[in-house]
Amino acid sequence: MQNQPSGFGNPWLQLTLSVVCVLVSELLLKRGATDIADLSSAWSWTGVNGLASPLVWLGIAFVIASFVSWLYVLKYIPLTIAFPLSRVVDILVPVSCWIFLGEFISPRRWCGIALVVVGLALVAKPVARIEERL
Amino acid sequence: MTFLSFFFILASLLSFVWAQVLLKRAMEATRKSGFRNLRFISRVAGGIALMTISFFLTLGLLQRFDLSYLYPFQGLSVIIISLMAAVMLKEKLTLQLTIGALLISAGIVLVSLS
Repeated sequence: MQNQPSGFGNPWLQLTLSVVCVLVSELLLKRGATDIADLSSAWSWTGVNGLASPLVWLGIAFVIASFVSWLYVLKYIPLTIAFPLSRVVDILVPVSCWIFLGEFISPRRWCGIALVVVGLALVAKPVARIEERL
Repeated sequence: MTFLSFFFILASLLSFVWAQVLLKRAMEATRKSGFRNLRFISRVAGGIALMTISFFLTLGLLQRFDLSYLYPFQGLSVIIISLMAAVMLKEKLTLQLTIGALLISAGIVLVSLS
């Protein structure tokens, strides 16, 4: 984790950006996929028919953006830290589904979300120590 | 959940995990020899190919299930990736990181079971 650039090149900022892009892309893809869904066709298992939706294309743009900043993150942060942290998206996605797509979150699902938060805190803690040493 | 949907969920998960390890290796190769070398290019190309496969399989699954149900399966990738990074990339896996990864995955499984 040596020689980290600061400012926009800061890998932690890029990790955040990558997570936000993934979140936006997931919501767009779900909207697009639902719009276009044709479950009777066997081809729909491959998802290729989703390309007919403009929302899917917009989602793909966000996927690419997240991919570029993720590559950048990989250059500076070990996978054992960066990847678990990037899973904060697993909380953000269900919560956003609840807020924006009107999907239901049961009490058990909320418990799962709480467990993820604790796990993330554990993974993030050694990171804070490493940053202090720099 | 039918066998077929389980199969597709697993396939999209594994191609995603494999892509991550390839990409990490690709970016490590750039440290020594920059972006214009065969190692970087072949690994990034492999990573992108695998992510594309994973992407389309996910898109197919999204037409059948709620996103909040489906997405968390990717959370299992935390455990798989942590193990693979420790074994294949020789990254240090501390006890705290392991417990953190296990809790994240447990939480994600709980989310997807509900």
